[in-house]
Amino acid sequence: MSEPALRVSGLEVAYGGVAAVRGLSLEVAESEIVGLIGPNGAGKSTTLHAIMGLVPARGGDIALAGESIRGRAPESIARSGVALVPEGRRLFGELTVRENLELGFAAARGRDELAFVYDLFPVLRDFGKRQAGTLSGGQQQQLAIARALVARPSVLLLDEPSLGLAPTIVDLVFATLEAIRVRGLAILLVEQRAQRTVALADRTHVLANGELRLTLTRDDAADTDRMIAAYLS
Amino acid sequence: MSDFLRTAVELQVQADAIGLGAIFALMAVGIGLVFGVLRLVNFAYGQLIMAGGFALAFASERGWPVAVGIALCLVVVLALSLAMERVVFRPLRGQSPAVMLTATFAVAFLLQSIALIWFGPLGKTAVSLAQLNRPVSVGDVEIRKITIVAIVTAAVCLALLVLLLNRTSIGLHMRAAAMDFSTARLVGVRASLVSAVAVLLSGILAAVVAVLLTVQFPTVTPTYALRETILVLAGVVVGGMTRLVSATLGGFAIGYVSGVLAAALPSGQSQYLPSFVFGLVILVLLLRPGGVFTRGAGTVERV
Amino acid sequence: MRPRALLQLAGPIALVLGAVLVGLSVSRSTEIYVINALVSVAVVVALYVFVGNSGVLSFGHISFVAVGAWAAGVLSVPEQEKPAFMPFLFDFLRDTTVGNVPSLVIAGCVGGVFALLVGLPLMRLSGLAAGIATFAVLEITNNVLRYYEKIGPGLNTFSSVPETTDLEQAAIVALVVIVVAFAYQQSRFGRQLRATREDPAAARAVGVSIYRQRLVAFTLSGFLAGLAGGLYVHFLPINVDTVYLDLTFITLAMLVIGGATSLWGAVVGALSVSALDSVLANAENGLDVLGRTIEVPAGTRIVVVSALMALVLILRPSGLTGGRELSFDWLRRLRPAREAVE
Repeated sequence: MSEPALRVSGLEVAYGGVAAVRGLSLEVAESEIVGLIGPNGAGKSTTLHAIMGLVPARGGDIALAGESIRGRAPESIARSGVALVPEGRRLFGELTVRENLELGFAAARGRDELAFVYDLFPVLRDFGKRQAGTLSGGQQQQLAIARALVARPSVLLLDEPSLGLAPTIVDLVFATLEAIRVRGLAILLVEQRAQRTVALADRTHVLANGELRLTLTRDDAADTDRMIAAYLS
Repeated sequence: MSDFLRTAVELQVQADAIGLGAIFALMAVGIGLVFGVLRLVNFAYGQLIMAGGFALAFASERGWPVAVGIALCLVVVLALSLAMERVVFRPLRGQSPAVMLTATFAVAFLLQSIALIWFGPLGKTAVSLAQLNRPVSVGDVEIRKITIVAIVTAAVCLALLVLLLNRTSIGLHMRAAAMDFSTARLVGVRASLVSAVAVLLSGILAAVVAVLLTVQFPTVTPTYALRETILVLAGVVVGGMTRLVSATLGGFAIGYVSGVLAAALPSGQSQYLPSFVFGLVILVLLLRPGGVFTRGAGTVERV
Repeated sequence: MRPRALLQLAGPIALVLGAVLVGLSVSRSTEIYVINALVSVAVVVALYVFVGNSGVLSFGHISFVAVGAWAAGVLSVPEQEKPAFMPFLFDFLRDTTVGNVPSLVIAGCVGGVFALLVGLPLMRLSGLAAGIATFAVLEITNNVLRYYEKIGPGLNTFSSVPETTDLEQAAIVALVVIVVAFAYQQSRFGRQLRATREDPAAARAVGVSIYRQRLVAFTLSGFLAGLAGGLYVHFLPINVDTVYLDLTFITLAMLVIGGATSLWGAVVGALSVSALDSVLANAENGLDVLGRTIEVPAGTRIVVVSALMALVLILRPSGLTGGRELSFDWLRRLRPAREAVE
């Protein structure tokens, strides 16, 4: 049994003495979507930041295909095949769409080509020379995901991609995730929209106060709200 | 007043002022690059030029060919730049610009005093390229060759830099790092690499400036380029520190204005040139603290 | 006064008195270094009053020292000596001569007024812009003093100024400056200004005018710096370059090394760097240590001090004292350990 694409074991993260994540363990295998939901301040974003090396982990380990990446610099982790689509997208507004995509090559292993992201998000090909800051919210989200994919990562982390987007765009984003999963990526999705995440993901973990409280499967999609309320009360 | 204007628009004066502006623009780029990527204000930039000047003087005194002198200058300046980056810039990362300015102020004095011990207050002379200081006739005006060389060199350097920043991947990485350093790292941009490249480019420009300056001012002393650095720093802040284009324009502007004033001020007032220039600096900072050439009001706090 | 506040004032005063004791017990030639150290205390504390309380960088304070020195110097030189090196003075300057103490007071007032005029426009700026603007003030002042011969010696060195700055006077002025600085920082003005340093938004929210408080501190520190300038001109033969970049550098270094945000830091920095500087100055002339003569090349002093300043900023930006005032805390920390042993 080979190592999963991403394994987090007993992760502990603290912000100035306050524990944000306590003893979190989860795994994401190839071609799997794992969801991470929970109330605000639960530690979901912190978990992604810790995996990406943006905040230091006080305890536990993070392993990429069996190899520990804990303690490494963000750019080094990016180059090892982990890509983060950050909350708020964090695009380079003054650079063009194309330049934002080309930045993604910084972490790329293998051929530098944009064709496949253009297939997933045709609008980006049309808007190549436009400044990224002039795109709509939905288009920016597509660009952010595309930028992450350009590096051909083995693990994709997404931090609330549906935040502030219209329902039709949310549909597009979620459909894209499904399409990406089929290509073999291991996807860890942090979201506020509990119902849709549970319906999409193979497994969804519920995080509260930095701890993993509950794990739901797709079959639980109908009962989601009730279950979560029960565990978070 | 009309005398002032008449002198100001003479071709001779304009050429010299543009030449000075060109050199200041190169220095501004050197300072602006390091600020953009490392968020560091390098007061000690002038000492890099000083070191380059001493290298040129060293070679000149031994009668070495000009090319060797320039090569030595480049090597010395680059070595010193990288040493500064390692020992001073890297540990200071994340501090406020004012702290960095003070720290590099200390480094500037440190290097200056080391040079004082090593070379004495009278310094050394670099004469290899002196023939460039001679004038050439353009129409009925005499323009020094060095002025033309300075303008052409600056234009070429700036053009190359623009190409580098806009057409290469390392240039793209540097621009991204200057806009948002942590997100750049997130997508895989190597922090240490872009920092090193910024410092290296800045060093190359310092070496070029050293070569150009020694033609007009062949005596290299420990305080070489200190006055120019202060002026360029003022120009960069006035122009707009946060963007390379505005910083460069600010550097050029202060050099150009200094050049015009130096020639056009009546002789009774010409010794007050620094007061005029710095007075203008204060005025502009009060009116637009974020920078004259930036769009909008810049990101400087006003109380 | 509460004991804590008393200690905060007593500490710096004790150091100054300690320096005086040292000055009394050494030879005349060494006494010069002590007097210099005390004058430095005055300048650095003046600098601290603004920089330490407001958190705004100022490269221009030595211009206040300069105008104070100019005012005191021009007015103190005996009338018959003035034309020798100041031939172009304004008539009223040429014809007026004042005594020692009045010249110091005038120096302070000139410094204060100049600071007020400069501060009116400049106190709106912060950060890098403030640094550059104050540097510009330094440059303009130096330029004008250098060439405007109607108000002073221009390029010439001040000579024939009565050398009235002895150990006693330097100590008194240093103590006065310390007490004034302390009174200021304990006052409502000082506390409001420090609030703006810690959290500008919160301070503004409770109605503190950042601009006004900075202007008050700037003017006060200009007065104190001018006073120190008066001391200087009566102490050493100074010229327009003595009160320019080198002095700016060394006083800033003293403040940074000592700890820019406390009075204790300012005094510690001034005295310790002066002590180091004196030792090195001696070594540059050949120092006798344990029978052997150490000699270092001229200019080593600045190498050491600037290296120290850079190191402090890199490794411990809060300075030797951590930017804190002298307090009882370290005593309290010892006591529990002793109780545990019993």
